[in-house]
Amino acid sequence: MSARPFFSRVSSGRVSSRRVSSRRVRRLAGRTLLYLVLAVCAVVYIYPFLLSIGTAFKTDPDAIAHPLNPIPSHWVLTAFTELEQQDFLLWLGNSVIVAVSVTAGRLLFDSMAGYALARLRFRGRGAVFSAIIAVMAVPSVVLLIPKFLVLKQLGIYNSYPGLIVPLMTDAAGVFIMRQFFLSVHPSIEEAAKIDGAGIFRTYWSVVLPMARPALITLTILAFQGSWNDFSDLLIAHQSPSLDTLTTGVGRLVSGQLGEATQYPLELAAAMAMTIPVAIVFFVFQRFIMRGPEGGVKE
Amino acid sequence: MKGSRRLTTAVLAAAVLAFTAACSSGGGFGSPSSSDATATAKPNDKPLTLMFGSSGPAETKAVDAAAAAFTKQSGIKVQVIAASDLAQQVAQGFAGNEPPDVFYLDPLTFQNYAKDGVLDPYASTLSNASNFAPALKAAFAYQGQFVCAPKDASTLALYINTKDWQQAGLGAPPANWNQLESDAKKLTTGGRTGLVIDQDESGIDEFLYQDGGTVLSSTGKVELDSPQNVQALTYLKSMLDSGIMKFPSQLDAGFSGQAFGENKAAMDVIGNWENGELQTDYPNVKFKVYPLPAGPTGIHATLSFTNCWGVPKQSQNLAGALELVKFLTTTQQEMTFSNAFGVIPSLESAQSQYAAAYPQYATFVKELAYAHPDIAIAGATQALDAYSSALEQLANSNPATILSTAQQNLQAVVNSDK
Amino acid sequence: MKLLSRRGSLRRRETAAGWLMTAPVIVLLLVFLVVPIAMAAWVSLSNWTGIGSPFSSDVSSVGLRNYQALLTQPGLPQQQLGESLRNNLYYVLFVVPVQTALALGLALAVSRKRLAGRGFFRTAYYFPSITSSVAVSIIFLYIFGSTGVVNALVGYLGAHGPNWFNDPSGVLQLAYSGLGVTQAPAALANHGFLGLPWWQWLAGPSVAMVAIIVLAVWTTSGTFMLIFLPAIYAIPSELEEAAIMDGANAWQRFWRVTFPMLKPALFLVLTLGLIATWQVFDQIYLMSQGNPAGTTLTPAYLAYVASFSDQQWGQGAAIAFILFAIIVALTVLQRLVLRDRGTVAGDRA
Repeated sequence: MSARPFFSRVSSGRVSSRRVSSRRVRRLAGRTLLYLVLAVCAVVYIYPFLLSIGTAFKTDPDAIAHPLNPIPSHWVLTAFTELEQQDFLLWLGNSVIVAVSVTAGRLLFDSMAGYALARLRFRGRGAVFSAIIAVMAVPSVVLLIPKFLVLKQLGIYNSYPGLIVPLMTDAAGVFIMRQFFLSVHPSIEEAAKIDGAGIFRTYWSVVLPMARPALITLTILAFQGSWNDFSDLLIAHQSPSLDTLTTGVGRLVSGQLGEATQYPLELAAAMAMTIPVAIVFFVFQRFIMRGPEGGVKE
Repeated sequence: MKGSRRLTTAVLAAAVLAFTAACSSGGGFGSPSSSDATATAKPNDKPLTLMFGSSGPAETKAVDAAAAAFTKQSGIKVQVIAASDLAQQVAQGFAGNEPPDVFYLDPLTFQNYAKDGVLDPYASTLSNASNFAPALKAAFAYQGQFVCAPKDASTLALYINTKDWQQAGLGAPPANWNQLESDAKKLTTGGRTGLVIDQDESGIDEFLYQDGGTVLSSTGKVELDSPQNVQALTYLKSMLDSGIMKFPSQLDAGFSGQAFGENKAAMDVIGNWENGELQTDYPNVKFKVYPLPAGPTGIHATLSFTNCWGVPKQSQNLAGALELVKFLTTTQQEMTFSNAFGVIPSLESAQSQYAAAYPQYATFVKELAYAHPDIAIAGATQALDAYSSALEQLANSNPATILSTAQQNLQAVVNSDK
Repeated sequence: MKLLSRRGSLRRRETAAGWLMTAPVIVLLLVFLVVPIAMAAWVSLSNWTGIGSPFSSDVSSVGLRNYQALLTQPGLPQQQLGESLRNNLYYVLFVVPVQTALALGLALAVSRKRLAGRGFFRTAYYFPSITSSVAVSIIFLYIFGSTGVVNALVGYLGAHGPNWFNDPSGVLQLAYSGLGVTQAPAALANHGFLGLPWWQWLAGPSVAMVAIIVLAVWTTSGTFMLIFLPAIYAIPSELEEAAIMDGANAWQRFWRVTFPMLKPALFLVLTLGLIATWQVFDQIYLMSQGNPAGTTLTPAYLAYVASFSDQQWGQGAAIAFILFAIIVALTVLQRLVLRDRGTVAGDRA
C-alpha cells in the first residue's frame, strides 16, 4: 500500500495542474476500460461453468434442444437421483483420500527438491534437473501399460498405495518450486545461515514460510490434478471399491462416450466433481496474495 | 561436473536394469500361463470377472442381474466390472496375464486378439452355435473358425420422419436408388435436407454392397477399388452435389441421428441405436423404419454391427467362463437384455420373439438376412480412419482416388500381417 | 587454510543435503516414470503385441523397424506422422505464445493492488481450468458450430463464418489464395518431407484446429496465471518504488523491472507449455478424433490409436519417442535462447 501515494506525490509535484486533470481523465478512462475487459473475460471464462450447472438440472431433450441456455425450461433432479444410486459417497471419499495424500506429498517433496535444485550447490544438480524436465517430455499415453506393470510388480496394484504413491511427486511441481526459489532473493536464508542454522532448519523455518505463495499455487494445482486424474488412477486399480469420482463416473457411460446422450448425467457428475475443487481454489487463492515475509501485502 | 553427470547416468541406468531384470524373472511379468483347461473340464470355484462397457444404468443393471442369476444357478461367483475404459482395461488385463474371464469384444479388436491366438475358440462348441445369425458369426470368424459368440445385433435401416413424409405427399417408401434420390429431392426444403447419412465407412459401405461391390474378398483380399464401388460413391457424390443428401457435419450434428432428431433431415440411414436416442432426446419426433433401398441391379444389402462375449484361453476358470457365456446366450436371457435396454438379440430364435414383441423394429431383424459385417482387419484402425476421413471429403474429391488410396493402405495392413 | 577447509565442509554438507532433499523425488520418479519409460523404449524396439509382459521370452527385438516404418518408408504410417507433426507444430506455434501472454496479462491485472474484486477475477479466470473437459468440449462444439455464437458474431461483422469443426482447409492456404496463389507451385507440390508435400506443410492449422487452439488457450491461461502470481508477488516493492522515483513510466517499469524478475517463471511457463502442447491428446480424443481430413491428428493421438486400437505397441511407442526427441530438442533450444537466469539468484543454474 506504499507505492500509490508515493507515486501521486511525485507526479503532482512535477506537472502542471491542467496536465494532471487530463491525465486523471485518461486514467479514469483506462481504469474503466480495464474493468470492462476484465469483466468480459470473466463472463467468457465463467459461462461454461454456469452452463454445466444449469444443464445438470435439465431433462435430456431440454439439454439437446437448448444447449446454450443455462436455465432449464423445467428443473429436474433425474441426473442427481441417478448419481445417488451409484456409490457416489464412496467415490467422493476415495477422491478425498487420494487428493489430500497426493497434495501433502507433493507439497513436501516438490518444495524440498525445488529448494535443493535452486539453492544448494551439489554435484549432479544439473543432471537431476535436466532429467526431471526430460521425463515430462515422454507422452504419457504410451506409459500407461508399463506403469500398470510396475505397480503389479511392486505388489501395490489395486490398493490405496497404488493409487497414491505414484502421484506423490510430479516433475512439474518440482520445476515450479525451483523456479520460484530462483526468483526470490536469498538474503533472508543467508542471514539464517550466518546465524548458524543448519540447512534443514533453514529450509523448514525460514524457507517454507517464505514460499507460501508458491506453495498455495502448488496446493491448488496438485489438488486439482489428482482430483481430476483419470488415466493414472484407472491403471492402478480394478476393484470398484477403490473407484474415485473420475473412474466411477467413467463406468456409468463408457459404452457410448462421445454420443450426444445423457449430457445432464455427465454434467451433473462433472459438477459434483468440480465443485470441491472450486471451493478449494476459492479458499486458497486469497492466500496467494500474502507476501513472501508472511505479512499481508495489501 | 561432467564426472558427476556420468555418475548419475550410471546410477539411473543400473537402477533401471536391476528393475527390468527383476521384472523379467518375476511372477507378475512371466509369459502367459497356457491353461490346460478345455471346454470339457469341470468348472472350478474360482470367481469369474465379467467386464463390459456400459451404455448407461439400464445396461449395467441388466448385466448385474444376469450375473446374479448365473451365480444362483451355478454357485460360481461373478464379479461384474463396468469398465471406465474398456479397451484400455482389457489390454491391461492381457499385459498383466490376468484378463477378465468374459468381456465385451468388438470385431476390430477381435481380429487383433484372434491373430495373437489368445482367445478361446469356444463358439463352435456351443449347442446353439448354428442359431446365431450368419452375418454376426462372420464378424467373429478367424481363419474360417467361429471363435466367440455374438451377444447382440445391429443393422442399418432407413429412418423416415413421418410428418415430413406426409407433407411432401409421398406414398410407399423408396425401394431402389432412383426412388431414394427422387424422394430425397422432394423432401428437401429450405431448412431441411432430404437424406442424411453418416460420413464414415460404417455409414457408407452398405452402398458399395448394394451396387454389387465388396470390401473384402472371402480370402481376405481388399477389393475396394472396383468399378462398382466407384459407381456407388459417384451416386452418393451426385446427391451431395445437388444438396438433397448431406453429411451430419454439414448440418452441424455430431452424427446423422442427431440431424434426424433435430429434423434437419427427413430421412436417415442409421442403425437401431437411434431408437434410444430418439426416445430420450427427441421424444416428439414421429418416425418409421424401413429396409434400405436396393441397388441398381436389385441387390439388397446393409451393414451389421455386433459385439461378442470374449473369453481368454488363459482364464483361470475357463470351464466356468464358458458356463457363464452359455447362460448369457440363451434365447430367454437375450430377450431379457432386449427388454431391459433395447438391443436386438443375436440368436435367430430370440430374434423372432423380438420381432413379434417390437413389430416397429422388425425391419432390423429382417435385414440381417442380407447384412454384411462392417469391415474389420487386424491392425487396420488407422487405415480405416484415414478411409473414413477421405469419405468425409467426398463432395470435393474424386471417388476413384478415395477408393484406390484406401485400397493401398488397407492392403498394406493385410500384407504386413503375413 | 582453516577458512578453506570450512568452506569444503560446507560444500560437503550442501552436497549431502542436496541429494537427501531430492531423494524422495528421484526415487519416485525413477520407479514410476523412468522405469516405465525404459520399458516403453524397449517396446518401441520390439514386436510386443500387448500379450503378457514385454520382457517375456516370446517378445523379440525388431531393431529400428518401427522407427523406419514411420520415418523412412513411404506409406500410411509415415504420411500420418508427417500430418500429425505438421498439425501439432502449428498448434504449438499459436497456443504457446498466446496462452503465455494472456496468462501474464491476467496475472498482472489481478495482482494490481487497487483492483476491486480481485478475488472474484482470479477465481473467474481459473474456472476453465477446473471445469471438466467433457463440459468444455460440449460447449466449444456448440459455440463453434456453424450456427453457433462465434458465427453469429462473425455474421454481425458482415462476414460468413466457416463450418468450424468440419473445415479442413488450412488458414495459411486460405491466406495464400486471398493473395491470388490458388495452385501450389510445382516445386512445393512435388517435393515434400515425411510423405507430405511442402505445400501441405505450409498450409497452416486447419479451421477446425483453430477452434481447438482457442479452446486450449482459454482452458490453460488460468493455470499459468496461477504460476505467474507467486513470482509477481516475490518482486520486492522497493524495486518498483525506485523505478518510479527515477521517473520510469508503467511500460518502462514493466520491461526494466517486472519482466526481468519474471524470467524464471517465464522459462517455467514456456517449458511446461511447450511440453503440454506437443502432447495434446484429450481435446483431440474428445472432440475431433483427428478429423476433418486428418487435420487435427496429433502424434500423441496417433500413438494412442496405434497402441490401443491397432495393438501395434511398438509403433505407438516409437511415435512417442520421436515426439520426445522433438520436445527435448526444442526445450534445449528454448533454454539457450532464454538463458535460464534468475536475475536475483544469479548464475547458479
